[in-house]
Amino acid sequence: MRSRLPQIFFALSTLALALIVAAVWQASTPSWKTCQRNFLQLEAQGEPSAVTKAAVLATPPEIHQVMLTGLQRVDRCTTCHLGVDDPTMKNAPEPFRYHAGLGPHIPSRFGCTICHGGQGLATEKDAAHGKVDFWQTPLLTRDYIRASCGRCHKEGDVPGVPELTEGRHLFETQGCRGCHKLNGVGGSIGPDLTEEGANRRSPEWLEHHFLAPNAVSAGSPMPNFHFTTEQARALTYYMLSLTNEEMGTYYSSVRLIPSPEYGRQLFVEKNCIVCHAIGGIGAKSGPDLLGVTKQHSPEWLDEQLVNPDLVYPGSSMPEYDLETNARKALVAFMASATAQDAQEILSGRGHALTPEDAAIEAGKRDFARFGCAGCHGTELQGGLPNPNAQGGEVPSLLHVSDDYTKDEIIAVIRNGRAPPLDKASGPTPPLYMPSWKSLLSEEDIHQIVDFLWSKQQKSKESW
Amino acid sequence: MMNLIREFWQSIVRRDPLSTDKGKSELVFFNVWLHVHPAKVKKQNLRFKHTFYLGFITFFLFVILLTTGIALMCYYRPYPPQAYQDMKDLQFVVFMGPFLRAMHRWAAHGMVICVFLHMCRVFYTGSYKKPRQFNWVIGVFLLLLTLSLSFTGYLLPWDQLAYWAITVGTNIGSYAPIVGGQLRELLLGGHSVGEAALLRFYVLHVAVLPTLIILLTIVHFWRVRKDGGLSRPVWKLKPSKTETLVTIGSPLEIAPLKTGPASKDKTYGLMEVVTGKPIFETVTPEEEEDAVFSYPYAFFREAIALMVTVTGIMAISLFFHAPLEELANPAKTPNPAKAPWYFLGLQELVSHSALLGGVVAPALMVIVLLAIPYYDRNSSRRPSDRKWALWLFSIFVVANLILIVVGTFFRGPGWALIPPWVHVVAGAE
Repeated sequence: MRSRLPQIFFALSTLALALIVAAVWQASTPSWKTCQRNFLQLEAQGEPSAVTKAAVLATPPEIHQVMLTGLQRVDRCTTCHLGVDDPTMKNAPEPFRYHAGLGPHIPSRFGCTICHGGQGLATEKDAAHGKVDFWQTPLLTRDYIRASCGRCHKEGDVPGVPELTEGRHLFETQGCRGCHKLNGVGGSIGPDLTEEGANRRSPEWLEHHFLAPNAVSAGSPMPNFHFTTEQARALTYYMLSLTNEEMGTYYSSVRLIPSPEYGRQLFVEKNCIVCHAIGGIGAKSGPDLLGVTKQHSPEWLDEQLVNPDLVYPGSSMPEYDLETNARKALVAFMASATAQDAQEILSGRGHALTPEDAAIEAGKRDFARFGCAGCHGTELQGGLPNPNAQGGEVPSLLHVSDDYTKDEIIAVIRNGRAPPLDKASGPTPPLYMPSWKSLLSEEDIHQIVDFLWSKQQKSKESW
Repeated sequence: MMNLIREFWQSIVRRDPLSTDKGKSELVFFNVWLHVHPAKVKKQNLRFKHTFYLGFITFFLFVILLTTGIALMCYYRPYPPQAYQDMKDLQFVVFMGPFLRAMHRWAAHGMVICVFLHMCRVFYTGSYKKPRQFNWVIGVFLLLLTLSLSFTGYLLPWDQLAYWAITVGTNIGSYAPIVGGQLRELLLGGHSVGEAALLRFYVLHVAVLPTLIILLTIVHFWRVRKDGGLSRPVWKLKPSKTETLVTIGSPLEIAPLKTGPASKDKTYGLMEVVTGKPIFETVTPEEEEDAVFSYPYAFFREAIALMVTVTGIMAISLFFHAPLEELANPAKTPNPAKAPWYFLGLQELVSHSALLGGVVAPALMVIVLLAIPYYDRNSSRRPSDRKWALWLFSIFVVANLILIVVGTFFRGPGWALIPPWVHVVAGAE
């Protein structure tokens, strides 16, 4: 029994010690330290004297991070990207290069990942760039990075990113909501898109998907809308911008950029031309707005838009309840508006609406906005393939009045309907009419039906 | 000066030199941590091939878990989503954070495995038989506590893996009739896994369950000692030639307290030592030949088991980091959502029948396990005398393993039977 036990124990203890040393060594040599050393050497090259060189090189390594409580992020990118806010690093090699052209988006206030994507918490290259499993938002490539502007600037135009405006417009007019929910409104045939930008789907996949849904997602009921490549790109941008992140007030206040273009849009929407003229063109019940920004300070104008009665007691101007940036946009538009603008706005308005026409207009808007157009077509022509449904496609709505009364159609919209089967034994058709009663008010439904019937009469006349 | 040092040392150890038998005995008696050991152990107690030291290894894994767990507590906030961010910080900025977390993770998996293997060993050697019946029962509770500790710890990283494993796991529990739903609600502090669930699991994981497992472990060890020390293959012992008892370590004139046939497992009777009375132990002469002092024979072996456990876990942790998936997202169910691996056998059963698989089967399993020492009336521990028992238990073990393997590797999206070598392209909806 006199054995080698103590020797074995000693050997194992030595092994344990070696493992601890290995673990400490592994922990003390992360790649970012090497990176910082390279940066210091780069910096030291520019130093004139040996003393200052040595001082630079002696800087202890440390993790740099930007805490962005308003964005609920911690970005440690600057641990390696050390020259990002240093203009002298303009021509330095990556990862040390200066980031030009940021405008107000300084890294100390915005970090990096809100625009670029990637994993801000990480301190290793692949993990930080999000090119690892289980990170939902890898770095966006140059082609798609501008989509990130839409994460904060959720409304109106974003200067330099017309794709976002176009994408939003397509989404609301092509009937996407018929199948997809966005912020709680929409159908449930396709996936909810509220957080699409936070899902790990490559931009290339999305773009390809818009051009040919079935090519990348076999068996998807999503029809091919025959988008152009520009439209597919625009929709991809819009999808990438969709996140449900909570943002601090500082960041959410810039949801809308107060551009003159947006001001002009508001000017049209709010029908300002009904009371005001610009350079003599327009109505006369309010003051002419030409040069109004020269007569009054921006603060005065802003106050006037918030509370007209307070600035001008007895003013007949209504309170429009515009938000700060919308008011700024209007003021920006007024600063540049000319009589020509007024002329264009007036000619675009057409005739005044009767209440019946207004209802039909509203129905038409809802038809597009709630996604009916997605399946039944923007011109009600139907025709989307729907295998094993009677007729093999989504029905056209141009002749509903021949087969249904208004009340019957209202019931179908309210309660939804599974399409009648072509072959009873065949598979369930992928598309069906969802129930809309939880989303649409009675008024909405009636307006949509009015719109449908207005289309019927026209089609009958044309026969 | 040397005298002073010697005096200081002596004031700590208060025993004779280890070169003497008295010193070896006193090392055990005078030390609060060691005195759960006997002063002398049978050589057969130390046979590796009989116990594989699984009980020790399990205990050492628990010690590793306790140590690393306390260290991890310094970096952890039990509320979402900070919990997840703390995992990322451990991974990227805490010095040796990944190593610490990996050690905790792998030791936890190791403990579940070792507890189970230890149970198998105890069954196969018949060590649960009289007088150790109740210690087996305590052991079953320790197994359940280990599973609960692992299960509660599973949620804490607050990633998708954690979130859905716990959602699935607690759903299995809710199949119990009448109380199931309420139990789940009590555990989660709500209808689904959320902030309240994370806090409750944290409290259970760092306070309630460790306390219980420590208390039960003390009882478990104490009873091992009281019931005759570590298990040994008694059926391989030569039948004792004499019924005469001898008294060792004491003046010959003192008669043994008790005469009669000696129990082969009886190795104690030394409490009187504390009061300064002579040490005496009643053993047969053959057993006396077989016994060696715990120091160094038992202690070095235990220390080696400790070092093997520690180095093993450290080596694994150096090369394999603990997994961490993306932040928990209640709106996005992975397909398939799986419970922790040791519950995948249950999940597999549940996929066939919720009530039978989720309630009846596990309840029966626990009840049968608890009842084994009382149901098994066969007093022999010789394997050839208990073929039926061994067969039945082996079937139980193999069935469990098959279910877990099927659940872990052979179940794909929609819980469809897909072999692991077939690559499934994740559907993009």
